[in-house]
Amino acid sequence: MPKHYRPAGKKKEGNAAKYITRSQALKQLQVNTKLFRKLCIYKGVFPREPKKKFRGNHQTYYHLKDVSFIRHDPILEDLRAKSAYRKKIIKAKAKRNKELADILKNRQPEIKLDRLVRERYPHFIDALRDLDDPLTLVHLFAALPGSDRLKIEVKRVHNCRKLSHEWQAYISRTHKLRKVFISVKGVYYQAEVEGQKITWLTPHGMQQVLPDDDVVYDVLLSFLEFYETLLAFVNFKLYHSINVKYPPILDPQLEASAAELYALARYFDANSRPSEKVEATQEEESELRLAQLQHQLPSNEPGALMQLVKDAADENEEDEDTKECKNLFKNMRFFLSREVPRESMLFVIPAFGGTVSWEGEGAPFSETDQSITHQIVDRPTQGHVYLSREYVQPQWVYDCVNTRIILPTEAYMVGRVPPPHLSPFVDNEEEGYVPDYAETIKRLKSAAKNEILPMPGMGKENLDDPQNLLAEGYISRAEAIEAAERKQKMMTLEKQYHDELKMELDGFKYSSSVSDATKQKSDEDMETGEEPLPDVQQISTADMSKLLMSRKKRGLYEAMKKGQERKKAHVDLLKQRKKKIEAAEKFKKN
Amino acid sequence: MRERKKSSAVEVSSVKKKKEKKTKDNNEPREQKEKEESQSIMKQQKNTTSRSKKEKQRKATEDYQSLRESELSGDEVHGTDHDVDNADDHHEEDQTDGSEGHRGVEESDSSEDEVAPRNTIGDVPLEWYKDEKHIGYDISGKKITKKERQDKLASFLANVDDSKSWRKIYDEYNDEEVELTKEEIRLVQRLLKGKAPHTDFDQYADYVDWFKYDDALHPLSNAPEPKRRFIPSKWESKKVVQYVRAIRKGLIKFDEPKEEEPKFYLLWGDDSSAAEKANHLAYIPAPKPKLPGHEESYNPSLEYIPTQEELNSYQLMYEEDRPKFIPRRFTSLRSVPAYENAVKDSFERCMDLYLCPRVRKKRVNIDPETLKPKLPSRKDLKPYPVACYLEYKGHKGAVVSISTEASGQWFASGSTDGTVRIWEVESGRCLRVLEIGEAIQYVAWNPLPELPVLAVSAGQDVLILNTGLGNEEEQRRVKDLLHVETPTAPDDNMASIVSWLQHDKLDGIRLRHFKVAFSPLSIFSCIFVLVLDLGLVEDHLLKNLLLALMFTLDGVFGRMASQGRLPLHGDNLIVGSREGKLCWFDMDLSSKPYRVLKCHPKDITNVAFHRSYPLFASCSDDCTAYVFHGMVYSDLNQNPLIVPLEILRGHTSSNGRGVMDCKFHPRQPWLFTAGADSVIRLYCH
Repeated sequence: MPKHYRPAGKKKEGNAAKYITRSQALKQLQVNTKLFRKLCIYKGVFPREPKKKFRGNHQTYYHLKDVSFIRHDPILEDLRAKSAYRKKIIKAKAKRNKELADILKNRQPEIKLDRLVRERYPHFIDALRDLDDPLTLVHLFAALPGSDRLKIEVKRVHNCRKLSHEWQAYISRTHKLRKVFISVKGVYYQAEVEGQKITWLTPHGMQQVLPDDDVVYDVLLSFLEFYETLLAFVNFKLYHSINVKYPPILDPQLEASAAELYALARYFDANSRPSEKVEATQEEESELRLAQLQHQLPSNEPGALMQLVKDAADENEEDEDTKECKNLFKNMRFFLSREVPRESMLFVIPAFGGTVSWEGEGAPFSETDQSITHQIVDRPTQGHVYLSREYVQPQWVYDCVNTRIILPTEAYMVGRVPPPHLSPFVDNEEEGYVPDYAETIKRLKSAAKNEILPMPGMGKENLDDPQNLLAEGYISRAEAIEAAERKQKMMTLEKQYHDELKMELDGFKYSSSVSDATKQKSDEDMETGEEPLPDVQQISTADMSKLLMSRKKRGLYEAMKKGQERKKAHVDLLKQRKKKIEAAEKFKKN
Repeated sequence: MRERKKSSAVEVSSVKKKKEKKTKDNNEPREQKEKEESQSIMKQQKNTTSRSKKEKQRKATEDYQSLRESELSGDEVHGTDHDVDNADDHHEEDQTDGSEGHRGVEESDSSEDEVAPRNTIGDVPLEWYKDEKHIGYDISGKKITKKERQDKLASFLANVDDSKSWRKIYDEYNDEEVELTKEEIRLVQRLLKGKAPHTDFDQYADYVDWFKYDDALHPLSNAPEPKRRFIPSKWESKKVVQYVRAIRKGLIKFDEPKEEEPKFYLLWGDDSSAAEKANHLAYIPAPKPKLPGHEESYNPSLEYIPTQEELNSYQLMYEEDRPKFIPRRFTSLRSVPAYENAVKDSFERCMDLYLCPRVRKKRVNIDPETLKPKLPSRKDLKPYPVACYLEYKGHKGAVVSISTEASGQWFASGSTDGTVRIWEVESGRCLRVLEIGEAIQYVAWNPLPELPVLAVSAGQDVLILNTGLGNEEEQRRVKDLLHVETPTAPDDNMASIVSWLQHDKLDGIRLRHFKVAFSPLSIFSCIFVLVLDLGLVEDHLLKNLLLALMFTLDGVFGRMASQGRLPLHGDNLIVGSREGKLCWFDMDLSSKPYRVLKCHPKDITNVAFHRSYPLFASCSDDCTAYVFHGMVYSDLNQNPLIVPLEILRGHTSSNGRGVMDCKFHPRQPWLFTAGADSVIRLYCH
């Protein structure tokens, strides 16, 4: 009798009853692979991994419940109806009944995905949690050229552009942007909405290539369809929360000059008064609710009340973060040169409280405006220079945003190679390697904090700090430079001091560790008496306990060790390269 | 040819029109019909006429301009028929007033191309120069004077005298007299007669029909268009009436602009209603894409950029092993190009999202060291062999087997060089060398101290030898035991397997096997020594016992026994296998190993228990021997404690073999290891 024999009338059990393979699912649903793919994408159904793959390892398994979940969804009927309708059009065209074909085309049934969005994301927070991929894809498509051959309609590209701008406008308006990183792949942004960290990637503003081979655009477009709907609803909810009407109506002139973000900002401004009102009412509401709750609570439960207050405090804390972001570029006016990526800058600078203008039509202020504090330039040389403003490269803005302090601009001047742009997503300590510039930034940060807490004897210096000067209204450039120089001198001094401290610390540590080691050694010697090979002994002890591990644990242990080793090797490689580079530089100098 | 066709078409139309004019006097309905007919014909030929209109005009002017009077020169030329009609009258007038109105001929003359026109005034009315003495200017700016006009009388007289004067006309435009050639005159005459101007033009040529009516699948037809094409359809008009009535009755409604519902609305208005649990499977969110590190920056630190050598080494790698992303550095933001794999990357992400099985996995975020089990301190488990104390050298081949004497003073070793050596443990002195001649497979001392007998298996034989140790009393007993008088009469069943012989050179017995019946010869010989020792020399008894033992062993641990070595220790048993696994069986517990230790990467050659200390050891071809602490408690509830204690190294590999055998000292916690490098080592605590 074969092992898998099941007597007639007996039900399937175990994995075989719970899971079905993909081809079985296709048969059950009576759909073709294309439609099944679309359904899976819309419904968010993914294959699962049964404990035992009863049909072999090469199969894809779906949970039976997932499949029946698809089967009972009206979207299946809708999609079938749509394909039937498409056949009608094809038929009309084949019969050269152009009139009918046109009529049919214009009356195509529309497939609505709102129900699916609600089903997949029953809470708004769920939708926000899963927003990374939608944003990335929508931003990508916003940058793609329309193509008839690949069925990328221009209309959809425009819709993607619109959605992405709406999202950016909201983030920028509510100052929820936290981190920005320019990579080779594009610009990464990270925002924090309702406690959820949302990261997305926008491609560089260039002509994108559409690869023909190894990309199936149907898949991308199916995903995009769902994502567009999702993002539109999310935007609606977000706009609703700040009491702005959605969809926003934009100034066509600004839209034409590709400054949609600014147009959106203007739109927000027009609607700003009611939003403030709403905030006020919300506050009132919350107070009211608090009072109600207090009523409801029995008076002998102080714990619950404490909790409430704590929650409020937490909210305040969150606000502080936004406040910090809001005030980073406060009272600064930026002007973008022609060659600077405008969209990104128009998004980032207002998100951190700055005012920005650009070269072109519809700009709020022109280059000749004397109140401009910073001009962002990305060209080898700057012809005409206004003395009242600083000329910096775009990276300065991004670095300031990531470090949350106003960095000194010397390193970012026009024509220079800017200092390395570091990823804000990396925890350097955990990675085990800290790049030089990260340390510099750390020092600058601590210095900035010191300024906030003025120390005795440092107060006067603080006054001369360029930042404060900026805040006061900028007296003259020369003075600022002087101040900056002074500051740098101080910084170097400080650095020296820190280094010394560090050296001392290290030294102390080193000595202590050495003494520990010797102590241990002596202990061992004392106990074991005559031990000829302590090294071998230690190695063997390490191996010894490994012997007794179960196979599973040993595998885990070895994998972890391997991971650690790889990490270490990477760090070592970096250090080695750095050493080489430094040596080469020294050689050059000599 | 085409020219001709066109001109003929013109001719046709002109004929039709003439007809029409003639029939003007007739009754009206007929006229109308004809008009229609002619219109239809005109329609057909409209293309040709319109195309040839210019040409026609040109021709007409060429042909008849000379015949026109100067007053009529401004008139439009409408059609040939009109010109033809008027032709006769014009001609008469022309004849009378020949001096003027000849310029048309001049213009049409081909000689015009050869001689540049004298006139320089351009397209300016001649009246402007009527009262001037000059007409225009020459190239140097001087006035061109008009020719002196003869007075009328003189000219008349000259005309009378000159026979050719009737052919001369005055060209006012160029201010010269032109004499018409004979051909030109003839042309004019033909025109006056109403013939075609050129003689070679056949006005009444045979009609060549280009329509084909026969032998063609789709014959062209010049049949006139049927009438129905000009009459509005009856059925259409009926349909229209129907529609009109339906609209009036309100049966047909026109598309009103649909009231568009707002596409987007507040989907998550109140989250409270969504709290109810959906009865589908838990949603496993997809893992978020990895966040970019420093190396992905457009301007990373220099140390993140791989050097040229490293880049070259990537080229040598397999494609799968190559790093997916190679950091690059751009010195300014403006020089960063578009990322070429942007679409591909997001496509891959999408594929992952809908095709990758998702499983919730706990992420282990612990220090790997905590995974290691806590072991009792090794100091508490002393004594055990730790380091090499002595080396016994003398063998010339790999030492295959060693065996210690019960008292622990001596031990014997057998090697592939065909010798058995007996050593003193403490001093390392080689006491005796027994030449066997064949490669030794196994050596075993009698476990009883009072009979110092050594069993050696070599080739197909087992030898039981006197070692020559012990006092005289013992020697005597040994001699007795090892004395075989005559070769025993071969028994029916035993003869085929074993024959007992006195060894010819050495002091002992030789057991000759005719078949290798039992694979683990070692066990056989061990047991044999035991049996010998007990004095059970009866053949049948021996046979039964042996078989019984073999079968029990084989039945219980059949599979493992065939691979490894089995020392017994109470109810516990260790099996070392060829794959380097050491299994500890608790025979009371189950037939599955209580613990499997994977310590050796190569074959385990032997395992050994210590008789008195809770130690056991394993040796392997990887040139190491492991010493373990293996404590078995008398309390059955407590599991045996197994602690690895030491790895003993020192042997070197030869021919892929490492340590061949290990044996504990019977009294001391010492371990003997026999290496394939022909050295025996003693490890002491």
